[in-house]
Amino acid sequence: MPALLVEDLVKVYRGRRKEVVAVDGVSFRLEPGEVVGLLGANGAGKTTTIKVICGLILPTAGRVEVFGIASHRRQALRHVAAVLEGSRNVYWRLSVEENLAFFAGLQGIPPRKARKRIRELIALLGLEEKRRTTANLLSQGMKQKLALACALVKGTELLLLDEPTLGLDVETSHELRGLIRELAREGRHTVLLSSHDMGVVEDTCERVVILAQGKVVTDDRIDRLLGLFRTRAYRIVLSGHLPPGAAAVLRSRFPLLKLHTGDHETTLEVELAPGYDFYELLDHLREAGAAIEEISRAEPDLEEVFLKIVKGEK
Amino acid sequence: MSRLWAFWAIVRRQLIELKRYPFNTISGLATLYIIFLLIFLGAKFIGTAGTRFFGESLEGLVVGFMVWTFAIAAYSDLSWALIREAQLGTLEQLYMCPFGFRFVSLAWIAGSFLTSLLFVSVLLALMMATTGKVLHLNLGSLLPLLLLTLASVYGVGFATGGLALVFKRIQAFFQILQFVFVGLVALPANTWWAKALPLSLGTKLIARVMIDGIRLRDLPASELLVLLANGAFYFLLGFLALWGCERIARQRGLLGHY
Ligand SMILES: Nc1ncnc2c1ncn2[C@@H]1O[C@H](COP(=O)(O)OP(=O)(O)OP(=O)(O)O)[C@@H](O)[C@H]1O
Ligand SMILES: [Mg+2]
Repeated sequence: MPALLVEDLVKVYRGRRKEVVAVDGVSFRLEPGEVVGLLGANGAGKTTTIKVICGLILPTAGRVEVFGIASHRRQALRHVAAVLEGSRNVYWRLSVEENLAFFAGLQGIPPRKARKRIRELIALLGLEEKRRTTANLLSQGMKQKLALACALVKGTELLLLDEPTLGLDVETSHELRGLIRELAREGRHTVLLSSHDMGVVEDTCERVVILAQGKVVTDDRIDRLLGLFRTRAYRIVLSGHLPPGAAAVLRSRFPLLKLHTGDHETTLEVELAPGYDFYELLDHLREAGAAIEEISRAEPDLEEVFLKIVKGEK
Repeated sequence: MSRLWAFWAIVRRQLIELKRYPFNTISGLATLYIIFLLIFLGAKFIGTAGTRFFGESLEGLVVGFMVWTFAIAAYSDLSWALIREAQLGTLEQLYMCPFGFRFVSLAWIAGSFLTSLLFVSVLLALMMATTGKVLHLNLGSLLPLLLLTLASVYGVGFATGGLALVFKRIQAFFQILQFVFVGLVALPANTWWAKALPLSLGTKLIARVMIDGIRLRDLPASELLVLLANGAFYFLLGFLALWGCERIARQRGLLGHY
């Protein structure tokens, strides 16, 4: 049984005047133990999808199941916890401990068991010194950690994280990434994470589902996606400068070529569209009398891949 | 069993907030006491005409004011809580309780009843000291009557809570309701239609217990039955309204909005 099954999900918001199709036939699934990124531009439908999964929004059509239970039924909530985007998620008037105890209780966890879990989570997140501090006095990063802890304290198998690192500094963001990886390694959690920060996604997820205008445009492993784009992008370093004539010839032959001229070297970055021959490029360089110092495949990062996919280049 | 822990978590949060922000509690109490004093002094100057408004006597005024205070808390606590949670951005997390939102709402009003009980006890003591009228406080008779009387108001509270989920800004509506409740408390429960409305009959029966010292089992069974039916009717109606509004809010994606 998949941890999460989304099948032909459609969500239409009906306003007074117009309708907004926020999610338009989305299907994907998460097996237990997977960590998957949910990507997409602003308004692509990520938050709507996540809220349907936690039962906060009723779908217009389609099937969404959490461990086999329809997500709009409250029983599904025994298996899901979420950190939601943009909202506070925790009670600012309660202390760190009180927040954790409240959410554990709300989930129906007996106090004795909850206390043990709370102690562990506070240690795990390094919040020992702030145990009795009310949440409004915590820094942004600590608040976000507390929100994550409040989701974790429920002990659910499926965890939904909508923009968990928004507004965090680099260090805290890295700390949180480490934590998410840790959760995944234990294998007890299945995580669906949405983020605009590709570093976070690349660091934590094995697979991404990319949405554009409410539809799934890609559902693939990150390493495969990177591989797909890697094969055609090359970076060539030449010692010295190219004669101006040669540069012009190259540019006209390879319109996608990028040329950086440094003090002592020239760097070419070129993405060879299908049909362009790598040898042809080298022939041009030889004719120009260029000395090649280094050839490497320019490593595409997830951000470039994402942008290309969303623009429909692949 | 696990429902019990959820219930306790919700009630405990209310108690923590009560304890952590004593100023809110005390200023609320002071405001109500001052309102009572004004009515009391006004009644003294105007004479019997003023007190008759709240019943037959000064005791009637105290009982009426007590029920009114209770009623205000009963219908507005849940709605305020929902509005505040929507504003603060915690409503969606609260909603994600695996026992359901209606369970959370029920637990919330149970907690609200307990805190009101504390609050109103203090107010009642102040009112009795001010007027010099000592009322009968037979809790065994009083608590069941209070619950039955307030059941209808909790029904109204569920309904306004539901409206708050969908329409968010309904504070003005609340203020109007406060005055409607004054009317309902003061309305003599002599006619069948007065008995069919919330609060009126209950206030009358509570007054008989507190003023005349009559016990629950000595009250006319028919009146008690009507009160029970009245409470159940409004309670269920309100619960249904909450359920309907909750669906609309989930359909339109309004739970996280304010
Ligand atoms: N409650 C609502 N009522 C009407 N329209 C809504 C509602 N919530 C979202 N939308 C619309 O649905 C579409 C998808 O929104 P959603 O919040 O799911 O996007 P998102 O992918 O999470 O975007 P972001 O990256 O900005 O968080 C948008 O066009 C948005 O305006
Ligand atoms: Mg979003």
